Amino acid sequence: MKFSYDWLKDLVYFKESPDKIAELLTFYLAETVVSYRGKRPILEIDLLPNRVADVGGHLGLARELSAILGKTFTYPQPKLKESQKSVKKWLKVTIKSSDCLRYSARSLWHIKVKPSPNWLQERLLDCGLRPINNVVDATNYIMLLTGQPLHAFDFQKVAFNQKSQKEIIVRLAKKGEKFTTLDDKTYTLTNHHLLICDLEKPLALAGIKGGKKAEIDQDTSFLILESANFEGARIHLTSRELGLVTDASFRFEHQLDPALTTYALDLLAQLIQELAGGEILKGEIDEKTRSFSKIVIPLKFQEIPRYLGWTPQKTEVVKKLKLLGFNLKVKKDYWLINPPPYRTDLQLPQEVIAEVARLSCFDKIPVLPPVEAIKMPPKNETWEFINRIKDWLKDYQLEEVYTYSFLSEQDKDLLPSGTKENILELRNPLSDLYRYLRPTLMPNLLKAVEANFRFRDQVRFFEIGTVYQAPRTEQISFGGILARKEFNARKPLFYEAKGILEKLFEDLGLDPDDYLTKPLEATDQTYVENGLSFWHENKPLGIIGLPSSFILRHYDLKGEIVLWELDLLALQYLASAEREYQPLPQYPAARRDLSFIIKKQILIDTILKAIQNSSSYLEEVDLFDVYEEPALFGSENQSLSFHLIFRAPDRTLTNKEVEQEMSQIIKAVRKLGAEIR
Amino acid sequence: MNLRDLKQQAQQDLASVHNSQELENWRIKYLGRKSSLSLFFDNLKDLPLEEKKEKGKEANEIRQFLKTIYTQKKQELEQSQAQGQYFDVTRPGLKIEKGHLHPLTLVLREIVHSFEKLGFEIVLGPEIETEYYNFDALRIPKNHPARDLWDTFWLTSGLLLRTHTSPVQIHYMEKHEPPFRIIVPGKCFRFEATDNHHDIQFHQVEGLMVSEKITLANFKFIVQEVLDDLFKGQVDLSFRPSYFPFVTSGLEVFIRPKNKSHSQWLEVMGAGMVHPDLFKTVGYPPNLWQGFAFGLGVERITMIKYGIDDIRLFFNSDLRFLEQF
Repeated sequence: MKFSYDWLKDLVYFKESPDKIAELLTFYLAETVVSYRGKRPILEIDLLPNRVADVGGHLGLARELSAILGKTFTYPQPKLKESQKSVKKWLKVTIKSSDCLRYSARSLWHIKVKPSPNWLQERLLDCGLRPINNVVDATNYIMLLTGQPLHAFDFQKVAFNQKSQKEIIVRLAKKGEKFTTLDDKTYTLTNHHLLICDLEKPLALAGIKGGKKAEIDQDTSFLILESANFEGARIHLTSRELGLVTDASFRFEHQLDPALTTYALDLLAQLIQELAGGEILKGEIDEKTRSFSKIVIPLKFQEIPRYLGWTPQKTEVVKKLKLLGFNLKVKKDYWLINPPPYRTDLQLPQEVIAEVARLSCFDKIPVLPPVEAIKMPPKNETWEFINRIKDWLKDYQLEEVYTYSFLSEQDKDLLPSGTKENILELRNPLSDLYRYLRPTLMPNLLKAVEANFRFRDQVRFFEIGTVYQAPRTEQISFGGILARKEFNARKPLFYEAKGILEKLFEDLGLDPDDYLTKPLEATDQTYVENGLSFWHENKPLGIIGLPSSFILRHYDLKGEIVLWELDLLALQYLASAEREYQPLPQYPAARRDLSFIIKKQILIDTILKAIQNSSSYLEEVDLFDVYEEPALFGSENQSLSFHLIFRAPDRTLTNKEVEQEMSQIIKAVRKLGAEIR
Repeated sequence: MNLRDLKQQAQQDLASVHNSQELENWRIKYLGRKSSLSLFFDNLKDLPLEEKKEKGKEANEIRQFLKTIYTQKKQELEQSQAQGQYFDVTRPGLKIEKGHLHPLTLVLREIVHSFEKLGFEIVLGPEIETEYYNFDALRIPKNHPARDLWDTFWLTSGLLLRTHTSPVQIHYMEKHEPPFRIIVPGKCFRFEATDNHHDIQFHQVEGLMVSEKITLANFKFIVQEVLDDLFKGQVDLSFRPSYFPFVTSGLEVFIRPKNKSHSQWLEVMGAGMVHPDLFKTVGYPPNLWQGFAFGLGVERITMIKYGIDDIRLFFNSDLRFLEQF
């Protein structure tokens, strides 16, 4: 909000430069910067929502600044010259909705509408408002001074009631009722919008904007002045619903002090008379829908050090609070405090203490270590588990990414059905690119690869982040992607990615018996084909595989790409097993190698199981070579070579025993069609 | 053979020994069981006593001498062998490939670690929230301008994406009794146009410390310790008034490099004493507990630490950026 430095100086005496004032305000009230209009300094204050109501006018700011400077502030007092005619004879106000807390009004007759004097125009321009004529400018000027929005109607354009009075009615709109503003825009209202009307038509959208009907023009000479107070939430809602934000609505939605209406009204009547002549009718109309009781906050002095860790001087605190407009009754060891009515944000002792702290400057509060028991905080196992995985993958040449939690319309369309149906959608997306919450990390990982392929031939990413599903399921997901532009048939990326996961699982302490893998069925996923799923009992842990060609085409990706995604908490659950020491073997092992040619369609998993199941002394089996040579043994076959390690727990195996084991294994693989080399 | 000649010969031969094999041959020749010295000792017994004494002493001295020079040579050879093959030590080492952690991970860890040293427990909370936890329970009522401070992404279901980590204060207090001290690292969302300093997602670390006697002075201590730790004592702090409905007093913490009074103050966290209404909301007895809460901007700290000028770099997955950390 803009404030005039010169105006402030008219209201309170100080010598400080604009920059010094801005600095003081920044440290005691809210961030303030100095700008200039011509040569006149303007203070731009980023007022916080709780202080708009009381500091939103120059008087409020002057009061606050006085308190900061330690000076007493005196309000300008209006001096009205009223005529003999009573306003009550000519004007009536009826409030029909409790959303209007108070409505005060006066009337001026025989005034002359003309341009404002220069000094007034400049003040308005300094504060960012456009001068119009002396009457409208006066309402704006007093608003800038007091913070109270005001409005002037043309008396003669308002309808008479049966008692020949001009009657103002404050009521809720009817559903579908139309209202045209001063600037000729028409709004269709609903039954929770508040209107200022006469008996015939709406005159103004309460607290927001005046209407065409009783507009001030060049010929206006009779005025009705409005100074009212409305329920802030009502104004906020209406202003948002109609998309109509004005100076008045902004102030009202911060819930102004109802006590302000008559004071501002008197200042306004006085100023208009000065600027436009005429007579002020005697008295004022002042209707209220509720009484405003004072709150009393008891505050024990010892509560201040207990809360702040700092003991201020009692007299200093009393002085500061009084300067801020608080009323204090000092008792033996406590005070009874009335906060000023314009500080609607203060209800509790702690809030009063906060004011003491603020006005003493936070930098003055000492820095004290807490006196608390030393206690070891419990470990957050999930946090630690996540960070173990991150470190592991970093060491294995993967780069960590943080992608957006959002997916585009196109990303969503590509998701497999089942996932697509449970996707969460934003009601107010910024754009179609960020319309949905990601149910999987895969689309963003693919996009990240695509973006980097422009300047890299190889990309290896991982991400650990939240994925979302309807109605409000959140899961921590662990995804990764290995990608390169050129295929390398000798070292397929799939096996590397699978190897990464297998070794990672081992290092995390997963027992291989705790999970199993199944090749993906063609119908499992449309997103990833040719891969594996990981399972614990009947629960899926995740998948690894090659994105389908359909997906690659959509993301404009060419090359060799492998993706995985796993449920991190499920992994953490499996990884929680403690490690246990195994006694070292007592007897030596016997090693043998075995190579055979076999059909490719026989899965390695099947062969390994056949080998393991046919020997009781087999300790380890390790596939160390896979070899294809179509010219030698046909393109449907491959050669596999295994290291086999045999051991008995209680004796050294004899050569004969090992040979017997070997012949059983050979028999088993021959059954699968193997031809021993 | 003349003993003196033998000694001379042996010394000469040893000078031309260059490896362990040659040394072994030398040993066999001069000290071995069939060496002339050994043979000389074998024949010694046949000599008259006087001569035996004299020659024996001389032969012994020579044997001792040969053993000494043999050991010296052996050590010499072993040393030169350890050097082994020739290296151009100026050649660059093998390129060891490693990945990188995201800068936000690095800074989040540092922040979390600093607080852990002070006994804070790490707590995590949901990113999808209800209006109640994100706003109402934190004294941010509907149709109040205070709510406009938090621009919100709403889901079609009426739920929302948390605009700050503060809802976790309520979740945690609903299930725990003070005293406690927690921090909550997490992702948050804001419905706003993006630019260098604003993005639709960002990270915060929420903090909450409550007991019977935690004061604002204690808050200043904790935040001073942590920021000193994070910035290695190289920043000054400033505390300024602010407003968050869920605290009273509300304040903001600014930092700037030490001894640089002309550089700008940068805001890094919002904070304050927990508003008593929150304790009431979670069912604590009145006027028993008090403490502070804060929310620290992780991207902000990271940008200051590394001199990053565009917040959007964090989420663009650009390798040229990621590899720098």
